[in-house]
Amino acid sequence: MTDGWNIVVCVKQVPDADDVTIDPDTGTLNRSDAPAVLNSPDRNAVESALELRAAVGGTVTAITMGPPVAKAVLQTAVGAGADGGVLLTDRAFGGSDTWPTSLALARAAAELDADVVICGEESTDSSTGQVPPGIAAHNGWSQLTYVESLEPRPDEGVLVGKRDVEGGYERVAAQLPVVVAMEFGANVPRPAGLHRKIFAETEFEPVEWTASDLGIEEQVGLANSPTKVGGMDTASPVERERVVVDSVDDLYEHIEEVV
Amino acid sequence: MSESEPTLQKPNHQTETPNYDDAYDAIVVGAGLSGTAAALTMAREGLDVLLLERGPAPGTKNVFGGVLYTPTIRELVDIDDAPLERYIAEKKFSMLSADGDETAVSMRPSAWSDDPHNDSYTVLRRRFDEWFAKQAEEAGVTLITETTVTDVLRDGDTIVGVRTDRPDGEIRAPVVVLAEGANSLVSETAGLKDRPDREDVAVSVKEVFKLNRETIDDRFHLDGDAGAAYHYFGEGAVGEAVGGGFVYTNKRTVSVGVAYRIEDAAQGQTPEATLDAFESHPAVAPLVRGGRRIEYSAHAIPEGGADAMPDLVYDGAVVVGDAAGLVLNSGVHLEGTNMAVESGYHAGKAIAAAIEDGRTDEAALAAYPRDLEDSFVVENLRHYDWFHRTIATDRQFLFEDLPRALADAETEYFKMDRSSKEAHTDAARERLLDATGGWVGAAKRAWRFRRMLS
Ligand SMILES: Cc1cc2nc3c(=O)[nH]c(=O)nc-3n(C[C@H](O)[C@H](O)[C@H](O)COP(=O)(O)OP(=O)(O)OC[C@H]3O[C@@H](n4cnc5c(N)ncnc54)[C@H](O)[C@@H]3O)c2cc1C
Ligand SMILES: Cc1cc2nc3c(=O)[nH]c(=O)nc-3n(C[C@H](O)[C@H](O)[C@H](O)COP(=O)(O)OP(=O)(O)OC[C@H]3O[C@@H](n4cnc5c(N)ncnc54)[C@H](O)[C@@H]3O)c2cc1C
Repeated sequence: MTDGWNIVVCVKQVPDADDVTIDPDTGTLNRSDAPAVLNSPDRNAVESALELRAAVGGTVTAITMGPPVAKAVLQTAVGAGADGGVLLTDRAFGGSDTWPTSLALARAAAELDADVVICGEESTDSSTGQVPPGIAAHNGWSQLTYVESLEPRPDEGVLVGKRDVEGGYERVAAQLPVVVAMEFGANVPRPAGLHRKIFAETEFEPVEWTASDLGIEEQVGLANSPTKVGGMDTASPVERERVVVDSVDDLYEHIEEVV
Repeated sequence: MSESEPTLQKPNHQTETPNYDDAYDAIVVGAGLSGTAAALTMAREGLDVLLLERGPAPGTKNVFGGVLYTPTIRELVDIDDAPLERYIAEKKFSMLSADGDETAVSMRPSAWSDDPHNDSYTVLRRRFDEWFAKQAEEAGVTLITETTVTDVLRDGDTIVGVRTDRPDGEIRAPVVVLAEGANSLVSETAGLKDRPDREDVAVSVKEVFKLNRETIDDRFHLDGDAGAAYHYFGEGAVGEAVGGGFVYTNKRTVSVGVAYRIEDAAQGQTPEATLDAFESHPAVAPLVRGGRRIEYSAHAIPEGGADAMPDLVYDGAVVVGDAAGLVLNSGVHLEGTNMAVESGYHAGKAIAAAIEDGRTDEAALAAYPRDLEDSFVVENLRHYDWFHRTIATDRQFLFEDLPRALADAETEYFKMDRSSKEAHTDAARERLLDATGGWVGAAKRAWRFRRMLS
């Protein structure tokens, strides 16, 4: 590992949360109108990938699985400083849930000889948080989730993650290759430099890989997704009762009433 | 991977960032109507253009009442593909008194219902500007969003590029086009124009109400893509201030707003209260009743006319659109969109010609102000300069006495009682003459205002 690490960062395109509306009649998300943007927790993933590269050397490759327009999130990552990008795009991927999504990302990461794969905590549109552990599981790699900060030990081939756990934190040393899910807000993502941004949006071209390039065309898509959506319901907001009490005794009484 | 193709193409890694200084012929600051028109024109002339916009997309920062005038845009792009809301089928000019009276003149020439609809359409700038910028990108323009220009770069007196809020944020190009709109901080910081006088700036606040399409059609008597533009004056519209109110119909929303001199706002008339009063005027309230408020916004409108226009060209830079004060806000007309596009177009042409000659100094760019001078833009601004002067003298009469007198006169004229029609006419005439200062006063005023509708 003399040339530094192969760092792969997973970025997802999501509808701009500010613009997503729920159709009150059908209860479905109105995603089509909303412009697609980079899943904001993934900004933290990109930032820690760049910090890691600064610490150990190597390269940062951004990957995304999505339709051709998902190229935009690779441009965002490259604008921030990633060295290159891979777009996993194929009709065969359509309708994939977290299982095939993580399979595709896992195969791509292996193809890139990744030492470290960095993901966001969860997506803002589906928010399962299952993809990072899924990548680790598919490849049999170690995993670090809910990571606040990273401390690389290149000589030992180990990445130490400070993990946010209930009541405090723990530090876990993981053997490479490792999949990391950065905690949302763990760091302050750097803005893209002007010239880098221009480069990312004008000259940068990702390579495109299909499901068959990765040899997984029979394992992805809707048919290979264990998730079945049973139905959708809109929850009507429940008006909360707001009571201001003057003393602890009053409060006690109120609680007693409710309980 | 045993099951994958051995020939899988690896990603190219480019760690080194290229430098784009002087990679572009021109940098345009602001992807509004004027900036995009300039960028598009230059790209069509074969120039490499960098268009910088501070918003996440063109139009997202845009506040706009709503009628886009399209005579020049039509020459640049295929307007039939544009996201237009409704064409203007009816214009109404209406005097409101503070007591709830309305006196209106409405027009619906049948010609407006035929293509090209008098080149007047309501649009949502959020959608329109993005579409317009997309046309520029298709012509080869590089659009970079979420990037705010903070200053120009100079080499001696010559402007040679811009500084942005991004790291590594300076970039150079032979020409900079300042198209930043009414709030032209860069041009002001760079000393290219003075901070406008308070009297020369209007503040506008606007709200958008969501209603369903049928309700709008019914309330405004519209069919299909037909729309309405109502303009209101008088104390009932903007209180004591100099200005007016407006109501425009979009497809499924109605824009309601007021615009008046910042001077008046500074003297204590808050935009919120003014808009509130306008929206609750009996002539306006029923138009938006039951609508859900989905947007509130405030913005400045330059309205100094030709007198307040700054210099338009410098060594290495030009100023276009609202940044150059090219807005007509005469009371009868609130127009800036057509002049923004026209100025961007002329600037783009002039820059292309100058670059072709290998020069970008002030003299080389002089074709821009010259062509603008010959266009309708400066002519219109001159024509309406008098209006502001007239308003200053006749404020009280125009916005307070006249609306009330009109209402009183109508009441007299149409009164149902047992006196004769002739007596009603006399009484009505009496009311109007009172307000206008007798026959002589009325004649003088009529003369002063003769140009308003010409
Ligand atoms: C009940 C349900 C129904 C769904 N139905 C549909 C459907 O009908 N059609 C449909 O298209 N989708 C559907 N999805 C969404 C789809 O399953 C997920 O978008 C996808 O599997 C990723 O999961 P996630 O967004 O929860 O990722 P998470 O596990 O929350 O994401 C964590 C991190 O993983 C990485 N990551 C996740 N996805 C990608 C990606 N595509 N590329 C690169 N990195 C990524 C990012 O770093 C991200 O921050 C559904 C999801 C659920 C929960
Ligand atoms: C409430 C209201 C109602 C109006 N109604 C009408 C009407 O009905 N009809 C009509 O014809 N005109 C109307 N106008 C006037 C019209 O909106 C303007 O004349 C027109 O938009 C001017 O275009 P522009 O391109 O010069 O500026 P703008 O449209 O304001 O565009 C400027 C662009 O530059 C960007 N920008 C600004 N500063 C920077 C920076 N430092 N760096 C990068 N980007 C920057 C902005 O985000 C914006 O996208 C109205 C104006 C207002 C405020």
